[in-house]
Amino acid sequence: MNPAEPLFLAHRLLDEQILDCDGRRCGRVDDLELRGSPPRVTALLVGEGLYPRRLPGRWLRRLARRVAGPETWGQNALRVPLEEVDAVDVAIHLRGKAEELGLGHGDDPERWLVRRLPWN
Amino acid sequence: MRTIFKIALGIIAAIGGFLDIGDLVFNTQAGALYRYDLLWAVVLGTIGIAVYAEMSGRVAAVSNRPVFDAIRMRMGFGLGLVALVASTFVNVLTVAAELGGLAIILQLLFDGPFSLFVVIALLSVVVIVALLPFGGIERLFGYGGLLMLVFVATAIDQSPDWGEVAQGFVPSFSNSTLYLYFVVGVFAAALMPYEVHFYSSGAIEEGWDEKSLKENRLNAVIGYGLGGILACALVVVSGFLFHPLGVQPNDLGTVALPVQGAFGETGLLLALAGMLFCVGGATIDSSFAASYNLAQFLGWEWGRYRGPRKAPRFTFSWLVFLFLAMLIVLSGINPVEITEYSVVFSVVALPLTYLPILLIGGDPSFMGEHANGRISATLGWVYFGVIVILALAAIPLLLMTNGGGG
Repeated sequence: MNPAEPLFLAHRLLDEQILDCDGRRCGRVDDLELRGSPPRVTALLVGEGLYPRRLPGRWLRRLARRVAGPETWGQNALRVPLEEVDAVDVAIHLRGKAEELGLGHGDDPERWLVRRLPWN
Repeated sequence: MRTIFKIALGIIAAIGGFLDIGDLVFNTQAGALYRYDLLWAVVLGTIGIAVYAEMSGRVAAVSNRPVFDAIRMRMGFGLGLVALVASTFVNVLTVAAELGGLAIILQLLFDGPFSLFVVIALLSVVVIVALLPFGGIERLFGYGGLLMLVFVATAIDQSPDWGEVAQGFVPSFSNSTLYLYFVVGVFAAALMPYEVHFYSSGAIEEGWDEKSLKENRLNAVIGYGLGGILACALVVVSGFLFHPLGVQPNDLGTVALPVQGAFGETGLLLALAGMLFCVGGATIDSSFAASYNLAQFLGWEWGRYRGPRKAPRFTFSWLVFLFLAMLIVLSGINPVEITEYSVVFSVVALPLTYLPILLIGGDPSFMGEHANGRISATLGWVYFGVIVILALAAIPLLLMTNGGGG
């Protein structure tokens, strides 16, 4: 399978684990950006702000949005252009580091949580 | 030679790690109520866990996907979220049951206020996990759990009517809802989902690949198979001693009494120590399972092998789950009661995490030449049927029998 093919299929990319160039797990593909005709995948969309759109039913989505807050691009919803993808096997491997793309910031080493954990 | 030795050590740890609070509670009660009649349900559950664990271990080794990775891929976000919420609820309830059990056993050994031992149990778990690497944790509790062999020795020492015991392995049904409740309970206690969530994530922690498939099969078939003997021994010793007396064991101390009858004070201490390792190991496994599932479903970094600095959200969620479990135990609900609920709700949630593994395990596009063969596929689907029936029956039986109270 080749990501350059038209409609490189959602069922192969959607929900897949993303790893950066150091093998760090930095999120899953929560949605896809499709453009053109025939449509092609142009970017992976990642972040907890996108969870509400994945739920069925308007009522559930509205509830989830109330809990998770609105979709804010660059914060809880990130766009990873397909050019950043290096390879796709049992996971999606990125060319660069997670931090450069804003991914996995909940696990970033400078976060207060990490410093406060015992046995560091 | 070295690999054979390593595999043997793994199998031994799987045997010792087989039992947890659910088996201790349900199998002892089943023996007291129905003597040897429910041994067949123990065997049914043991084969079930072997089938499910082998499949999920194989999926993890070949496709590098632990259970909730497979679930997110196969069921998508919405349906997968249902599986995640249900499993997390059941797993936290299980952590509470194990933690409460751990505190009771410590209390039996050292005497003192219960809530103090709950806190001590929690702190010991955190310290042990902080100090030991993943393999060390598994081995410490797996080998310690082998002390439960005193229950097998007790069964032999009691010399029951072995013909009668053998008859218990033949499935039998009765119209009594209480009997059916115990069929579900004994089966579900052997096949707790957290064991498989933990096992498949453990395969990634230990860096399994296709070369580990033989180790996986031996672990599941021989390790869990022999572990099932320990589970049967619990039924037999309780059936021999308590059934004729009409005693209904309602606390964990009673579980060890038959061993004291056979081998005196030393036997009692060995039995309690064995229970301590089993329940302690299960506290760690179930709490890890809850965090593995969350991190895998959401794509966070996870694993003891990464260390807390590299997987902070995973580590933090683990501490939160342990803390929640402690609050449940300290709320004053009897840990034996928490155990019954955790086991019964486990079987209700089980189909949600079993089906995706069965589907991915049989899918050559994920598994290549290691997809389910004829035997795994047949056994896998037969067990899916069994699990669905028991899942549907579990809650009505729980309500009709008033939680096994009759």
